[in-house]
Amino acid sequence: MKQINFKVNGKHYGLLVNSHEMLSTVIREKVGLTGTKIGCEQGSCGACTVLVNNKPVLSCITPALRCENAEIITIEALAKDGKLHKLQEKFVEKGAIQCGFCTPGMVMTALSLAPTLNKDEGLESMMHQIKDGLSGNLCRCTGYKKVIEAVAEYALEDANIIEKPKKPIETKSVGVSRPYIEAEKKVKGAADYADDIVMKNALHCKFLRSIYPHAKIEKIDTSEALKLEGVHYIAIGKELPITFGVLPISADETAMAVDKVRYIGEIVAAVAADSEEIAAEACKLIYVHYKPIKEFLKIDDSLNDIGTNEKIHAAGKFNNNIHKKAELRFGDQQQGLKDADITTKMSFEFLGINHGFTEPHAATAFWDENGLTITTATQVPHYLHRALAKVLEVPLNRVRVIKPYLGGGFGGKSDPFPHEMIVSHLARKTGRPVRVRLSREEVFLTNHGRHPSKLSVEMGISKDGFFKVLDADIAIDGGAYGSFGIVTSYYNGVLLQAPYKLDNFGFRTYRVYTNKPQCGAMRGHGAVNSRYAVESLIDDLANKINVDPCELRLKNFLDSNTQTVGQYRITSNGSRESLLKVMDQSKWNERIGKLETGHGLGVACGFFISGSALPIIWNELPQSVVHLKLDFDGRVLITSGSSDIGQGSDTMLAIIVAEVLGISMDKIFVLAADTLLTPVDFGSYSSRVTFMAGNAAKDAAENLKKEILDAVVKAKGINSDELNFGNNRVFSNDKTVDLSWDETIEILTAKRGAVCVSGKYISPKLGGDFKGAGAGLSPSYTFGACVAEVKVDTETGHVKVLNVWGAHDCGKALNPMAVEGQLEGSWHMGAGQAISEQMKYYKGLLLNNNFLEYKIPTTLDTPDIHANIIETMDPEGPFGAKESGEGAIHPVIPAIANAVFKAVGVRITQLPISAEDVLAKMKENQISKEN
Amino acid sequence: MIKEQLYFKAKSIEEAIIEANNHIANFRYIAGGTDVLVNKFQGNENSKMLIDLSGIDSLKQITIKGNQVEIGALIILDELKNHKIIAESFPALFEAAHAVASPMIRKTATIGGNLLCENRCTFYNQTEWWRKAAGYCLKCDGDICIATGGKNNCLSKFISDTAVVLISMNASIEIFDNNQTSIIPLESIYTGDGVNPRNLSNSAIIKSIFISNDEGFTSVYKKLRQRETLEFGSLITAVTKSKNGKIKIVLGGVDPKPIVVEGIANDDLNELIIIASKKARTVDNDMYSRKYRKEMISVYLKRSFQELGLILP
Repeated sequence: MKQINFKVNGKHYGLLVNSHEMLSTVIREKVGLTGTKIGCEQGSCGACTVLVNNKPVLSCITPALRCENAEIITIEALAKDGKLHKLQEKFVEKGAIQCGFCTPGMVMTALSLAPTLNKDEGLESMMHQIKDGLSGNLCRCTGYKKVIEAVAEYALEDANIIEKPKKPIETKSVGVSRPYIEAEKKVKGAADYADDIVMKNALHCKFLRSIYPHAKIEKIDTSEALKLEGVHYIAIGKELPITFGVLPISADETAMAVDKVRYIGEIVAAVAADSEEIAAEACKLIYVHYKPIKEFLKIDDSLNDIGTNEKIHAAGKFNNNIHKKAELRFGDQQQGLKDADITTKMSFEFLGINHGFTEPHAATAFWDENGLTITTATQVPHYLHRALAKVLEVPLNRVRVIKPYLGGGFGGKSDPFPHEMIVSHLARKTGRPVRVRLSREEVFLTNHGRHPSKLSVEMGISKDGFFKVLDADIAIDGGAYGSFGIVTSYYNGVLLQAPYKLDNFGFRTYRVYTNKPQCGAMRGHGAVNSRYAVESLIDDLANKINVDPCELRLKNFLDSNTQTVGQYRITSNGSRESLLKVMDQSKWNERIGKLETGHGLGVACGFFISGSALPIIWNELPQSVVHLKLDFDGRVLITSGSSDIGQGSDTMLAIIVAEVLGISMDKIFVLAADTLLTPVDFGSYSSRVTFMAGNAAKDAAENLKKEILDAVVKAKGINSDELNFGNNRVFSNDKTVDLSWDETIEILTAKRGAVCVSGKYISPKLGGDFKGAGAGLSPSYTFGACVAEVKVDTETGHVKVLNVWGAHDCGKALNPMAVEGQLEGSWHMGAGQAISEQMKYYKGLLLNNNFLEYKIPTTLDTPDIHANIIETMDPEGPFGAKESGEGAIHPVIPAIANAVFKAVGVRITQLPISAEDVLAKMKENQISKEN
Repeated sequence: MIKEQLYFKAKSIEEAIIEANNHIANFRYIAGGTDVLVNKFQGNENSKMLIDLSGIDSLKQITIKGNQVEIGALIILDELKNHKIIAESFPALFEAAHAVASPMIRKTATIGGNLLCENRCTFYNQTEWWRKAAGYCLKCDGDICIATGGKNNCLSKFISDTAVVLISMNASIEIFDNNQTSIIPLESIYTGDGVNPRNLSNSAIIKSIFISNDEGFTSVYKKLRQRETLEFGSLITAVTKSKNGKIKIVLGGVDPKPIVVEGIANDDLNELIIIASKKARTVDNDMYSRKYRKEMISVYLKRSFQELGLILP
């Protein structure tokens, strides 16, 4: 330990630090300012950026002792005298903040960048300078567009080149763009994420992880580790033998490996110690004797009979590692093939994709007279609540799950996780709070990302351009455990039955276990890769019958208010409007076929559920319940179990309640995602929150409105249908009644006090009655289209995506700025899967488990994104709204690949699109042309 | 107890050397530290003591000495742009510096540090746990190269962006080693052995870099990488033409050391490309395949020759 003296945000500190401690941990743990985030620990993500002597540095790779006598400025110092810095104001105003985890680092970088921008060479040059300057700060939510705009506007306003626009005074709620209600807190670095919440007297947890993909655990010796000073407890698998999993039908995971390990990285033991460093050191002293057994790393190996080898999971009738076979067939595919004049069949292969959220998993658990409380980065407090009660063998009423601010999820925080079980267990054993933060490598090992998959898909078309048949044969690599895999297996197939009319449609999916980190749900769950395949086939068919691919799609779209072949009820449907919009915006008709070699436009469409109509755990609970409390102060408290994971759902709830009651947003307070205080909502997955929690909030607000009406009618002797709610008033048209909100509340609460009401959402009964009919059922579906523009370097094969024009039918944009943010983020993430992201393994060991080698596009790699919101006013969505968080990702990836085809005549059947693959196929084409 | 570590921030070279000699078996210099500290995080660098050179102000100047430009080793990469002489006379060096890692890292990383950046390999730049699971390779005291399966040579990639350009301009370095200061060609410090890629002693300090200012260098720098920032080069090329018609080709990212091929403008340039490509002991230790990186050597060099006006487009 060595003493360091420095100033942080103007205040002197003299602190004892470890000699090799990094500045980031000193600022967070010793100074106690947690606005500075740790996202990657290796200087690759920028979340830890602070200013040292006025220069931005990555504090996670800056030794604290280097900063002796330095002046350090963190995000917390920017707002002054209760007012945000103008740059922070811009981030808020432009909607540049979603999950907010990268925001402090992004703001600090932008703060030092802005004054250096050369504004004399035109806007385009300045925008490029901004992209260049921010390219060391990764954001997974926004697609950077609004961030770049915020920085540009700030710079121009700061230099008095443009004037700050006056804010219009908004009296409406629905349909008005507004920042998230918590945006200011996030931009100030004041929003607490799971790892920011420090409990007094907490122990730190670290894990010992398997170094074998498939091995028996013969012996674990913790005796040496226990001798290390500062170690309090070491847990091993057999202490928590009860299995869990998000789907009750494949609860096949234990908190730690019990008698064998199933992937490299599986937790074998866990240490609770005084510090992270001691816990890590203790892990090295634990001795485990493994007996390796035959591992299964490839889909094909797991599909086959395994002979005398041991299966990954003992359950299952057959002697292979198949986890699930899902198959559904509608119409007559043989007949469809006969009816088709032209058919096409292609095989595809996709590598796994990780969510890449910027906030690593983190949790703190403690026990007191109320049982267990865990604060954790989760998308699904409700399912975690159930899993904890099961694994820890306590009643449901002894578990409380709190979701703090969450730094992105995208499906990657939607399972109950081993680390959550383990810290709860360690906290019980030690009687002290126990906290854990996963390293980025551990986040990758935890995975639950998009399944690697292999598909063989066939489609047929008539000469006049109508689809006759679609048949998909799919195998997906689930990794070592079940997760959402059974749902994924179905979604790969069922979500292909729209947006096009198909009478003869079928699929078969095998999900296999392999000895790799498990896969699960990721944005666009299950259907991203199969959508890619189908949109590629359609492009190929259009080419073969010489029809414009947009025309072909327009011809085959399903209508509104119809039913698919698999009995999905389609209500609102904005496919056509979406496609026409992006055709127009990209000047498709003028440009297609007229671009030089190497330059191409491509198109694709998409389709997704707006919330799963069926619960994961079968029961009669409503999908969502929202409570409202209105007390004497006139504030409406919304309590909801739904999880805002950066997508803006808390704001959405407030908007809906404000709209129904005709009151302003400042009269609303949202308390969400605390299983003790808030009613059950199933969580943030399957794009369900706006539709389901939104409807529950609307129902609750209408119930509250009814209470208010009853009170005013009684007090004023007026008919209820003469009363209006708006502008914070309750009034009749003739103004005989004209009450301010406070006056109204006085009437409501007289002799009664606070009024509490409840609202709920229950999905209607939907779908057929065949086995598997429930898969993909949703009360509503979303549709969309993308056109992408690419340039391909014909000598290197390198693909640069220049533009993405996208349109998404979200029913009604309750908060257009937030919807745009979701769309831009989806298209950015899709572009990543298309051009640079992959999970690459070496003998079951993930090769690229960090943000340097797992290649999320930076500002410089992200195309210009042009987002269009299509509104179709869904009959059952709250104020007509549907999802916008996931469906948009579907069309962008095939649109990029189809653009590559137009540019260089190469059909991409493997992702990511590799320069090497493009170049090799261009050469093959050249050779076949020459012959 | 966990063993105590040490840190020393030197104000002068002399101070640094004294401290280095006191901990000769177990210390490491850091300048910007952006490379060393990541390696430390991953457990590839375990020195008990870090000697921080970033406070030595005497190594932070750029000066002209006769026909030489002298660049202090502790010049921060991002600050090269503030020096007119670099932007005007050696734009490719500026480009190379700007291509290093990300803008944030370039604000801390130094040019001297970049020259000494540790060689990289997919199987080496991993955490201690990962390398244990994979089986340690030659570069971390194991007995096999995972990339090739061989037992003799480590072929980890040399990846310094600025060194590639500097060598193409015949840069030399002033180095303090074994109690004496000497000026040696930059390229002479690279050994080609992936395990010990530089022939400097542990306590050597690069003081400055010299480039001739009167040879009329024109250089083209190129870097193969998937994203336009953040990444180490999968292939780095620099070609410099001097006013007397000499051509110097340098490759990085494809061998444990910079590959150097010299010629003159009248040579069969394709022949030079073939020589360079043959010299490169490229293996599959990168996210791009060996085959592709080899193939790109020719594409990148041809483009460079075109840009230098040596061949027609």
